[in-house]
Amino acid sequence: MIRTILGDLWTSRELFLQLVRRDLKLRYRQAIMGFAWALFLPVLTISAGLILRMAFERNGGSGTAPSLGGIAIKSWAWAFFAGAMNFATVSLLSNASLVTKIYFPREVLPLSAIVAQGVDSAFGLAVLLLVGYWLGFHWSLQLFWLPLLIIALLLLTTGLAFLFACANLFFRDVKYILQVLLTFGIFFTPVLFEPAMFSTQVGHLLMLNPLTPIFEGLRLTLVERTSLLHALYTPSGILVWSPWELVYAFASGIACVLVGMVAFRRSAAHFAEYY
Amino acid sequence: MAGQVLFDAVWKRFHRGLAHDSLRDLIPALARRLRPGAATAPPELRDGDFWAVRDVSFEVNPGQALGIIGGNGAGKSTTLKLLTKVLMPTRGMAQITGRAGALIEVSAGFHPDLTGRENVFLQGAIMGMPMQLIRERFDEIVDFSGVSAFIDTPVKRYSSGMNARLGFSIAAHLEPEVLIVDEVLSVGDAEFQTRAFGRLRNLVRSNIPVVIVSHQLDRIVELCTDCILLQSGQAMFHGPPQTAVQEYLRGTSARGLSLEEATSAGIGILELTAPEPQPVTSGSSFTCRVIGEVTAAEPPPHVELGIAIVDAATNQQMYWTWFRSIGAHPTRQGKFTADFEIQANMPAGLYRIDTSVWHEQRQVIIGQGPNRIFQVMPGRPFFGTHQLNAAATIS
Repeated sequence: MIRTILGDLWTSRELFLQLVRRDLKLRYRQAIMGFAWALFLPVLTISAGLILRMAFERNGGSGTAPSLGGIAIKSWAWAFFAGAMNFATVSLLSNASLVTKIYFPREVLPLSAIVAQGVDSAFGLAVLLLVGYWLGFHWSLQLFWLPLLIIALLLLTTGLAFLFACANLFFRDVKYILQVLLTFGIFFTPVLFEPAMFSTQVGHLLMLNPLTPIFEGLRLTLVERTSLLHALYTPSGILVWSPWELVYAFASGIACVLVGMVAFRRSAAHFAEYY
Repeated sequence: MAGQVLFDAVWKRFHRGLAHDSLRDLIPALARRLRPGAATAPPELRDGDFWAVRDVSFEVNPGQALGIIGGNGAGKSTTLKLLTKVLMPTRGMAQITGRAGALIEVSAGFHPDLTGRENVFLQGAIMGMPMQLIRERFDEIVDFSGVSAFIDTPVKRYSSGMNARLGFSIAAHLEPEVLIVDEVLSVGDAEFQTRAFGRLRNLVRSNIPVVIVSHQLDRIVELCTDCILLQSGQAMFHGPPQTAVQEYLRGTSARGLSLEEATSAGIGILELTAPEPQPVTSGSSFTCRVIGEVTAAEPPPHVELGIAIVDAATNQQMYWTWFRSIGAHPTRQGKFTADFEIQANMPAGLYRIDTSVWHEQRQVIIGQGPNRIFQVMPGRPFFGTHQLNAAATIS
């Protein structure tokens, strides 16, 4: 089935590109902020991180505060994840007239929403890297981990987006559930803090969230310049990173994509009847 | 690869009302699906279910054009959606081999905020047109639509006619191996309709399989080689378009005159022969014969027999007269035969001859007699609504 889906997607690649172009054009047409949108959410989250950092520093001393660079890159990743999930989840409903009238592989709808958000986020990342020096980014060979981590993030987002998009067609309140998950998800995903700030048990629990290793990986490669191939401990002996985290992130990402694709394709036959 | 359309014993179940009202309905439904053997067991109708398409089969090969007619809700559009894979059959198989071009909802993919130009590419891609082909055909598409002056204007500022014209033009420039058409023949103004129909006719004649759904019965008769009459999801008739249309209209027009009615009126029309020749040429004459019977001792004085010509596409009466006024009223008891000669001074299209029995004093139709469908083919070219057979000499 996966092979059929990939084959279908390859055949409709031109449609896919047209839909991405449409989504991008529409996002900036008659919009006051234009491409500033790509920076809006990360800047907001970084500011929130700054507030948090001030509170940490005041109460626990300067060593305990999360690094600004870490917050910046993780906020960027969160902004992509949240944006992609939002657009992809409603993609089937906002293209109702197409789905009920014309046949094409329905996968292109959530995928083009994700890619359109991806193009947006790519600009955001470029800006972030440009001002990286002041945020505390350090350039090193570890930067090569960046694409790999982004691929893991894309896999996870795509899988979840497929699941949410078809679920939202059958149950219209799924998009509200998603809103709640995204609002509170930022407390269970280490965007504004780091798992090593907690006890070992809580840290491990946080690491169960498949986004955590991706986010921490981004911080470690860009800010701490550490290789993701070695385990890393805090001076007090709390595990910060283990190479297995990377395996976990990829395994959950791939599992998510496979489950998402199959579930989406199996329910796609009935999409047109549920509008 | 030659295209083909195959529709093999297709059933489609729909549900009235909401799909799943709540989780309480969903969970038992899922449980049923998970039960072993549930997938292979023949589907049955549960509460609120109905068959939108019931055991319909057909096959369309290159060079054939199948028309699908029927009233609203008969299952025509569902059939097309099953063909184009938008819907999946509950039972049976619907399949198209070859690249299908669908003239269905031709501007469905338009986004109001995008310009006409952007929408041409978007809609083309949605319909499965390769980018290369759209680029090559772009000028042709825009010229055909006649909206070139507004091609860089967002389509939300288009009139609905312009919108539909642009949509049709894109769809009409697909190069399909199989053509599916749903009710797009009434797009735009009269001038555009003529052009659109010409384009469609060329596509139909390009030796590919074609399936057409339309309420314009004259178009069906003109374009199709074969026709299916659908009624509540079932194929009531499958055969020559003209007969199918006749069946359809017989079903929709009032019932025939029953024997008791004829007896109580004292006079009745029993039979109407098909017009000769078939098809009729616009501007020339045709003949038909009415066979009736006077059951009373002598023809009742206040009862008139009427014959009318009706435009089958619009159901508008074009001509109506009494038998008596043209000297064809029976004069004595028993069977009678009236031979008519009528000049077809009307444009090409599909028409119907109606017969009726009229009570002159009560001013009511006592009963409908039999009717016949006939087709008028274009004769010498003319424009307008009446074929007045202009003749001229030049010196």
